[in-house]
Amino acid sequence: MADSSLSRSGVSRRSVLQLGGGVALLFATGACAAGSKDSGSGGKSAGPATGTLRIAVSSYLSSWDQDFVGFDLTALMLYKNVFPYMIDYGVTDAGGSKILDTGNITPTFAESFEPSADQKVWTLKLRQGVKFASGNELKAADVKWSKDRAFAAQANVAGVYRTIGLTEASQVQVVDDYTVTFTQAFPSALTRQIQAISLYVFDSVEARKHATTDDPWAKDWLAKNAPTGGYFNVTRATQGQEIVLEANTGYPGPDPAKAATIRVTVVPDGSNQRLQLQNGDIDVALGVGQRDIADLKKTDGVTVVSAASNEQVAIQMSVTTAPFDDVAVRKALAYAVPYEQIIANVYGGDARPTRSLVPLDMPGYDEAGYPYTYDVEKAKAALGGRTVNSELVFETDNDTQQRIAVLVQSEARKAGIELKLTPLDPATLGGRRQQKNIPLQLTSGQLWVNDVEYMLATSFVKGAALNYSNFTNAEVEQIYEQSHTTVDEAARLALWKRVQEIFAAEVPWVIICQPNFNLPVRSSVAGWVQPMDGLARLRYLSTSA
Amino acid sequence: MRLLRFVARRLLQVVPVLLGVVVLTFVLVRVLPGDPIRTILGPNATEADAAAARARFGLDKPMWQQFLDYLKGLVTGDFGTSIQSGAPVGSELALRVGPTLELVVLAVGLALVVAVVLGVWSARRADRFGDHSVRILALVGNSMPEFWLGLVLILVGYSALGWFPAPSGRVDPDTDLTPLTGADLVDAILTANGPAFTSALSHLALPVATLAIVVVAPLLRSVRASALEVLRSEAYLAATTHGLRPRTLLRGYLLRPALVRLPALAALVFGTAIGSTVLIEYVYSWQGFGQWALRGLLYRDYPVVQASVLLIALGYVLVFLIADVVHAVLDPRVRI
Repeated sequence: MADSSLSRSGVSRRSVLQLGGGVALLFATGACAAGSKDSGSGGKSAGPATGTLRIAVSSYLSSWDQDFVGFDLTALMLYKNVFPYMIDYGVTDAGGSKILDTGNITPTFAESFEPSADQKVWTLKLRQGVKFASGNELKAADVKWSKDRAFAAQANVAGVYRTIGLTEASQVQVVDDYTVTFTQAFPSALTRQIQAISLYVFDSVEARKHATTDDPWAKDWLAKNAPTGGYFNVTRATQGQEIVLEANTGYPGPDPAKAATIRVTVVPDGSNQRLQLQNGDIDVALGVGQRDIADLKKTDGVTVVSAASNEQVAIQMSVTTAPFDDVAVRKALAYAVPYEQIIANVYGGDARPTRSLVPLDMPGYDEAGYPYTYDVEKAKAALGGRTVNSELVFETDNDTQQRIAVLVQSEARKAGIELKLTPLDPATLGGRRQQKNIPLQLTSGQLWVNDVEYMLATSFVKGAALNYSNFTNAEVEQIYEQSHTTVDEAARLALWKRVQEIFAAEVPWVIICQPNFNLPVRSSVAGWVQPMDGLARLRYLSTSA
Repeated sequence: MRLLRFVARRLLQVVPVLLGVVVLTFVLVRVLPGDPIRTILGPNATEADAAAARARFGLDKPMWQQFLDYLKGLVTGDFGTSIQSGAPVGSELALRVGPTLELVVLAVGLALVVAVVLGVWSARRADRFGDHSVRILALVGNSMPEFWLGLVLILVGYSALGWFPAPSGRVDPDTDLTPLTGADLVDAILTANGPAFTSALSHLALPVATLAIVVVAPLLRSVRASALEVLRSEAYLAATTHGLRPRTLLRGYLLRPALVRLPALAALVFGTAIGSTVLIEYVYSWQGFGQWALRGLLYRDYPVVQASVLLIALGYVLVFLIADVVHAVLDPRVRI
């Protein structure tokens, strides 16, 4: 019918299609150009507006609820900037770069956080007049509700609180509207550091409105709605794409946010982050790989910030699995790993060799803690002419670990250790770690608390979650127990020295190096402070563009 | 009426198929090594914390009870709660399906148009320069991995020429698009948001082109081969010798029989395209269904894996149903 009516009007179908196609083509072309222009991201854009920083991250956060979220670096980094944390690390200079000072923890949203004489009762005093985005004032009841919720969650905070003797909600008490006490089972030298990563507060008045009988802690609502009241407030969150942060002008403490607006954009592919940084469409790239970073060092308009980091790259050897249940084999591998070659070839020289399983820059680091250097002859001698076989596990899609694994495999073979390389996806890796059946695995990471007691708690005592080497030592267990109540600094250092002597003899890990943290940014960006817990504090960043 | 009966019968057949998929996925995802609970707990978590988390997600119950709970949920439209995010899987799915479907439908649609036009054109110029060029180009397109092709198009289209926006999302957030279906182009039309429409279209251009180039080759070869068969058939030769007009020959004798094989192949290609989106979404920061399902699989997020496999199975069944109907419309010999 349509065909005949068109024919009668003297316009053929072909003409209509041609006309329609032409219009569509023009529209599409125009749309592409317009879209490119509108987004401000097409081609060679002029750069960011004053006061607005654009940061690329590799993934969107999985949830806004810090009490229940998994190990999600994007989420944890954002929480640091949008939750009101009562206390946080200060800043210090280290080798020309600024880093968070784990020895100097200061009140931020709180007025003070001080212990009693016996260091068991800690009193948190809140600043008055601090408000959430809802207009509700941050009060002691919010702190209490937040910590009650954390204990009920039996997840992140509840776990870490055990290390300082906080195991029940009743240990947190409201004194008045602006005062809360934390009564620990024992005094601990870790209290300030543990609270620095745990003392975040929800707007409980707002959250309670969304609590139900089935969901008394408003999990559903808090998973979807960003917390407020921190250094920044989330003004827009486009699921999977972008989160816009606006500086909280009501922040009452030191070091307020320098950038008025920060746009956190999700760009999963590192090479795309690199392209967008080169084109000036982003200012900070938080997900670019080593190879792209090496290229970006030569790019005009881009600066690669390099800062000392306490990230450790290691090979954990299972002391309960053959052949690494034999300390001689562990020593052989420690001698067979080409440390300098890895630093030169994998990290382009941008990593620090280390001489202890205790990280460099952690109080108590002792160079006697790891007396092993690359020496194939010593490795052969340690093996006593034997040849052993094993597998070396690393993370799938982790290019850096893969390159290290190949180098280790090649050199270990010379010593008589034949390694089969096994890349594993996150869940399989997690499952095998739980079954404790990985003889040899590459690990990389940094501790959230810069203290040997915390390191022992997470990595070297019986049952510790990160103790992939299944290491147990009665003396280390005893030192760990003793350290809970040892608050004197000199006494603690003496304990750590002994721990490192034990590590040197037992060799549960091959400690490869501590790579520097490299961050490619536009040259107009300033103020990066290297976080010793790996979670960027965006408040220090500014742009002069 | 007969068509409706056919569709109803096929939809009824879907039920046991989906039930099989539900059972298999439920079992297989749990057979895979890996513990989803440990991936969401911090380094200080104890066995008690892990047990509490398991109880929170109902993973402490016997397997048969978990399965019954899952089935009950499905009946009421509840796909469960994501272990990774703690959010309802249904709402996450709703956010993720639209963008991927938009990408795949546009890419396969574009590939079909290109395949029909070029396939017929190529067949009518068989063994001449144009024909060889089209075939070689299709082969080259088919040979290129979508990941690599995507990066090349970004390098050229965004970085070198500056014609397209940065590969960082599906629409410029400043356009304040109100999400309705998750398919940004559709949402922009429904909300009459012009800037969002142009932005979404510009963001779609490169990923759609990438996917279309990857999937066009088999479609094109099929159309060309069918068209050649028709061109060499006695019926077509008889029509030609009767001196029919070229347009009549094309529409009445060539196009329809040449397209008979296309629906089934297009359905297969549709499935391939959904698989390809995993990499394309990664390259273009697309945050669609493919990336969501992959993350679910990598972290053994059982409810996410179950929901995504179920949805893919349902998608396949529906697409093949549509293909069968279209096939019947094109080919009068087929009775449904």
